[in-house]
Amino acid sequence: MRASINRPPTPDPDEEPEKELTLQEMINIKLIESGEKEKLMELLRERLIECGWRDEMKALCRAYARKKGRNNVTVDDLVHVITPKGRASVPDSVKAELLQRIRSFLTSVPL
Amino acid sequence: MSALNDGSSSPRSQHASRCFEDLLESIIVDVASECHRIARLGLDRNLEEEEEELRLSAQARVADPGSSGESNSKNVVDIFGQTHPAIASETFNCMNCGRPVTAGRFAPHLEKCMGKGRKACTKATRSSTIARNRHSRGSPVTVYAPYSNATNSNRVPNGTTAGEEYTDYTFEEP
Repeated sequence: MRASINRPPTPDPDEEPEKELTLQEMINIKLIESGEKEKLMELLRERLIECGWRDEMKALCRAYARKKGRNNVTVDDLVHVITPKGRASVPDSVKAELLQRIRSFLTSVPL
Repeated sequence: MSALNDGSSSPRSQHASRCFEDLLESIIVDVASECHRIARLGLDRNLEEEEEELRLSAQARVADPGSSGESNSKNVVDIFGQTHPAIASETFNCMNCGRPVTAGRFAPHLEKCMGKGRKACTKATRSSTIARNRHSRGSPVTVYAPYSNATNSNRVPNGTTAGEEYTDYTFEEP
């Protein structure tokens, strides 16, 4: 074959994404790779259990399941039931603590 | 160092908030998934118990007017001149689970609701006990370990206003 051996590989239309990561995605990747995301999850879970948030959410789910009939509920239903109240009822101190940790992670990581 | 609310629109804070919401969403899905499992597998006996309790309290109420008689002990008049039905029929909400409960059926209801002995105690504490143990011990714990939670449950939440005392200690009854 006489054609140039150095011809660049044919760009494959499926292979583009690599250069287009948003900053948010990069942050997410760094969080996961460093293991920090896992730690943050555990911390958040623990705080939410301690303050009774988890029990509140479970009570909401139970009430909903009782109303709708326990075999008629889907995970999706329950997520929709919990999400608004859940987001609103996270205690401020818990939220502040987590945000603080995330922010210090962000400053410590070169981006 | 900027104050907590100062940088709320700065890109870094926005990213932090997004990360937080991400984490919270995962946890919400976790909780929803677990509750879904409990509901579908019928692990939460309370779900059907309510009908049982309503039925029993209805029976209790029916039984009362059926037994009349002049010197019947049930129609004895107290010092204020009031008579009381033998079985209290007033309805209020249980402060533990929040469900409407007939006064005359309150004691048995509390037994099931708060966990008297083995069965109710272990089934009710299973998920919160395991969750607590998993996160603080990192090793699998058997179900029958509500009392080994002593170290965990003494932790006081920092300045949160949400918690009522008993939610931390609900299933610690000896």
